[in-house]
Amino acid sequence: MAVVDDASLIRESIGLLMPGLDVVAAVATVEELVRRAPAVDVVLLDLHLANLEQQPDARQGIAAIRTLTRHGYRVCVYSQEERRFVLAACLAAGASGIVSKALPRDRAEQLFLDVAAGGTVVPQPVVGILEVLVRRDCITLLSERQRQILHGRARGLSYAQVARELFVSESTLRGYWFDLTKSLSGSLRGLTPGEIERALGLAPGDLLEFWADPTEEADGADRKEWWRIGGRGGR
Amino acid sequence: MRIRSGLWRVAELPTTRAGVERAFSYFTAGVRLGTVAQMVPAVQLGAARASHEAGYLACWGAAALAAVAVSVVTLVRRRPPGTAVSVLDFGLACALLVLGPLVLAPWDRFGTWTAFQPGYALSVIITAGGVRGLGVWAASLLAVSLSYVVYLGGDVGSEMTSTAVGNVLTYVVYALVARMFFGYTRRIARDADASRARAAELARREEERRAQVMMHNGVAVMRLLTEQGDDVSRARLVGQAEVELRRMRSYLRGGDAYASEGEGPSAGLVPVVRRVCERFADLNVVASLDLGTGLRIPAAQAEALERALGSLLLNVRVHARAHEVVVHLDGTGEGGWTLTVHDDGVGFDPASVTAGVGLREVVVGELRRRGLAVGIVSAAGEGTTVTVRSRPGPEAAPPPEPALPTVRAAFADAP
Repeated sequence: MAVVDDASLIRESIGLLMPGLDVVAAVATVEELVRRAPAVDVVLLDLHLANLEQQPDARQGIAAIRTLTRHGYRVCVYSQEERRFVLAACLAAGASGIVSKALPRDRAEQLFLDVAAGGTVVPQPVVGILEVLVRRDCITLLSERQRQILHGRARGLSYAQVARELFVSESTLRGYWFDLTKSLSGSLRGLTPGEIERALGLAPGDLLEFWADPTEEADGADRKEWWRIGGRGGR
Repeated sequence: MRIRSGLWRVAELPTTRAGVERAFSYFTAGVRLGTVAQMVPAVQLGAARASHEAGYLACWGAAALAAVAVSVVTLVRRRPPGTAVSVLDFGLACALLVLGPLVLAPWDRFGTWTAFQPGYALSVIITAGGVRGLGVWAASLLAVSLSYVVYLGGDVGSEMTSTAVGNVLTYVVYALVARMFFGYTRRIARDADASRARAAELARREEERRAQVMMHNGVAVMRLLTEQGDDVSRARLVGQAEVELRRMRSYLRGGDAYASEGEGPSAGLVPVVRRVCERFADLNVVASLDLGTGLRIPAAQAEALERALGSLLLNVRVHARAHEVVVHLDGTGEGGWTLTVHDDGVGFDPASVTAGVGLREVVVGELRRRGLAVGIVSAAGEGTTVTVRSRPGPEAAPPPEPALPTVRAAFADAP
């Protein structure tokens, strides 16, 4: 896997601290990774990459995710960003997983491996948003079983607890969740901010602060505005 | 005015055992002095017709004196005669009956207060109905009945036999009725005393529980304040301490911290839950509340829910060692809702762990009192899930199931 983080200490130490990961590239910018084009299963991406001293114009946030996915990479965001609409916007932009830097090391490592294996890691706040979108018929789930799993996971229940409630094995349930999150993320990418605003009861335009315009070109002239999340930083 | 005042005090006698005994003393004095009052008009005629005038007057005087003495003693002691006085009283009544044939002619021993002895004996029987010992009472009744037979002697004409039998039966029936009256009234007073004591004990326990509910979260916050040296965490705890301080002050002032169900304006459910979650931001609380947008609950429920949720999150902070807490709110239609609080901490075994004040009173007890169903599911190593649910209306509520003697069952009314 590859690591993109402007904090050198983090990008250099991940491979050492997480022995289960094979880090073949650790770079400070998305542009550098694209230039080197390593063959990896997943790219760990920090959301905030621009800094005034070293790389003021570095591509970051939604733009960074889009750039990487356009080049065929699976992206796992690794950030301390907590705002749920920002996290949801990352999934909508194509990220396959979002892992908080606040998680314990071994748990984060396991989630990276899940994404590398083709899974989708959805943080709990975004699971809550997805449940609302499903309940408001903004995203259609075909089976009752999928709804039941989402119901349990949205309440924070573990795989084992949901599996017991549904009388299936934990491994079976993990498989269901694997497929479900992939399906939900795909559905999320197909929604417009307006549709999400209506489903969540937000006022028109409330999501503009978080959601990038999908029609914008990633390399456009107003690149610095791609990350329109303002306010407090996520590091 | 004094009489009116005295009567008023009688009417105000307490319904306690002591009050009942006092009422019995009034009753006893009333009956005995009433008997004397009935004896007085007949004394002159009785003495004139008596076969032995001096003996008649001596008997009359003894009866009147005894009646007055018993009345005074009962009024002073504020209770009816005890066993010893009653035995003496019965003894005198029997003696007067036995001496009757010596002072009265046979034709004067019936039907008038000239022959005061049977009436006097009846007053003794009625007022001694409260004597404690059943044996003493029965023996005395038998003795009076036999004395009455002696009193009548062998001179009763056949036409008076039915009256004589009727008088004996009157003794027996009045004795039974009086004893039942004394016994039953004493039982009522005893039960009233016991009920008052139980009510007082329940009130004490309720006050103790209220104090526990009010103080629990504050104590937990203060404990954390003394244990955590980190300035950031202390600053966060100070905010919570201020909230708990306001609550405790309100309790001490006797304010509306315990508003009854339905009182006060309703409160938005989402803001209440969000407010508590924000106080515990350091626990990594994920609040998924969108599905409960627009729900409102009575102010008293909101107060209890806020306190219960605060207690739950304090428990997580102190005991759970959780990485994440998910607080999820879901509207279930027609104003119904379910709040789920799940932590991925160490959990506990409900079968072996005794619930503390926080879970037992602040969470389960208080929420149930406010009409909310509470369920707690936990297992060692699997975290804890607490579910709070608005109950359906009484017409739709299922019949309660018999409680099982486990902690899990006690906390399982919100599956």
